[in-house]
Amino acid sequence: MRPLILISAVAVLALAADQATLDRGQKEEGLACTPCHSLRLVHSQRLSKATWNKELDKMTGWGTKIQDRDALLEYLVANFGDDKPPSPPAMSKDGVPKNGVPKK
Amino acid sequence: MPFTRRNLFATLASAAVSSQLAHGADDPVAIAGKRPMILHNDRPEDLETPVRYFDSWITPIDAFFVRQHLPRPAAIDPDAYRLTVNGMVSKPLELTLADLRKLPQFTVPATIECTGNGRGFYTPKVPGIQWMRGAIGNAEWRGPRVSDVLKMAGVSGAATFIETDGADIGVASTPDFVRSLPMNKAMHPATILALGMNGQTPAIHGFPVRLIVPGWDGTSSVKWVVRISAAAQSNTGFFMNPGYRYPKYSLPPGTPARPAELEVIEGMPVKSSITAPEDQAKVTMEPVTIRGFAWAGENAIERVDVSTDGGSRWRDAQLSREKLPFAWRLWNLEWRPSEPGYYTVMSRATDTAGRVQPIVSPWNPSGYLWNSIDRVGVTVEKTA
Repeated sequence: MRPLILISAVAVLALAADQATLDRGQKEEGLACTPCHSLRLVHSQRLSKATWNKELDKMTGWGTKIQDRDALLEYLVANFGDDKPPSPPAMSKDGVPKNGVPKK
Repeated sequence: MPFTRRNLFATLASAAVSSQLAHGADDPVAIAGKRPMILHNDRPEDLETPVRYFDSWITPIDAFFVRQHLPRPAAIDPDAYRLTVNGMVSKPLELTLADLRKLPQFTVPATIECTGNGRGFYTPKVPGIQWMRGAIGNAEWRGPRVSDVLKMAGVSGAATFIETDGADIGVASTPDFVRSLPMNKAMHPATILALGMNGQTPAIHGFPVRLIVPGWDGTSSVKWVVRISAAAQSNTGFFMNPGYRYPKYSLPPGTPARPAELEVIEGMPVKSSITAPEDQAKVTMEPVTIRGFAWAGENAIERVDVSTDGGSRWRDAQLSREKLPFAWRLWNLEWRPSEPGYYTVMSRATDTAGRVQPIVSPWNPSGYLWNSIDRVGVTVEKTA
C-alpha cells in the first residue's frame, strides 16, 4: 500500500511541476512573442519539438528576448506539437462598412 | 523615459501583453474593409479568402487575401509620397505620385498567389502560415511600367537586378522586407508600379504604390514601394536568402534544406483549385455545378479536367473566356450524380506550355508552391 501512495504522490508532484512549467511557458509566450505578432500565428501551427526549437532560434536572431526558453518550448510542444489535431480555422468578423458605419 | 528603440520595444511589449490579457489570445476581430476572412493572424494581418467568395473573375478587394510580413506602415500621405530611384542610374530620381501618373498607364489583369498558398496540405507540417486554398486572388492592376521609370532614370546597361524596398519595417531586429528582381523581368511590359487595384487604392494591399510582377510568386510584388535601386547583384537579405527559396533537387519529406542548393522562386506552377462544392459538403441528387479557378504563372490555362470518381475518368471543364498569361481562368462542370454515396471530386489543369498539374506536389522545407491535383470529398444524399 505504502509504495503505491508514494508513487502516486511522486506522480502528482511531477504533474504539478509540469503544469507549473507550462504556465511559465505560456507567460513567456505573452512576453516574448506578442511585441511583433499576435499569438494566432503561433497557435495555428503544429510542429515537432525540433522545429519549434528552430523557430525560437530564428526569433531570437530577430531580436526576441526569451527569458524562460525551456518552459516556452515545453509549452509550445505540449499545446501545438505535431501530434496535436489541426486548429479549427478562425474567422474574422465582418469589417465591411454597412451604410457608411463600420461594423465593430 | 528617453525615446530609444529599446524603450519603444518595451512599451510595445507591455501594451501587447496587457491587451492580450484584456482580450484573450483568440477573441474574434474585424479587419476594416474586409468581409469575414480566415484569420491566420490579425497583427500583422494574414487573411485567407474563404473559397465561397471565389465566384468572379475579378476578386473584390473586400475578399482579397492579405499577407503581411511586417507590421503595416503608418498611412502614407499621397502628397508627401516620394519614390527614390537610385543605384546604377545616370539620373537618380525622387518621384511624386503626380510624376508617376504622368507616365503612360497600363492595366494588367494578374493573379497574385502567396508563395506558401496550400502549405497546410503538406505532410509533415512545416512552419509558416497554414494557408489552404485561399491565399490567391485576381485583380486588375493599373499604373506605369517599371521599365519607363528605369529609362527615365537612365538605368545602366550593366545593372542586372532591381532592388525594391517597401515602407514597412520590422520590429526589433526583424529584417527589412527588401526584394530583388532580375532586370529582364523588371523591364517586362507587364511589370508595373500599380497605383490602383480594381480602381481603388487600399492601403492594406500596398497602396499608394506597389510593385506587380505578373506570374511570379506574390512576395515579388512588394507593397508600399519607396525605393527602387538598379544593381549588379541580388540583395542578400533574409527575404531573398534563405526566405522564398526552393530546393533545386527534391528532398525526402521532413529533411532539412541544403542551403547551397536553394534557388530563388520565379514563375509560378500550373494549378487548379476547387471552390464548390466545399470539401466534405453534402448535396442532394440534383445537378451540381463543380467550380474553381486555374492559373499557370507566366502561361495561360489551356484546359481543366475534372473527375468525380477519384481520378479514374476525367471530363473537360468549361473555361471562362479570357485566356491570358498571368491571370487565372474560372472553370465549371455540371455534374449529375446518378446514385447516392461519397465521391472524391478532383481537378487537374494543363497550361499553354503543356505543363500538367501533378498528383504529388514535392514536399519542401518551407512549404512553397503547393499545386497537387485538387480534391474534395462530397456526400450525395438520397432525395427525400
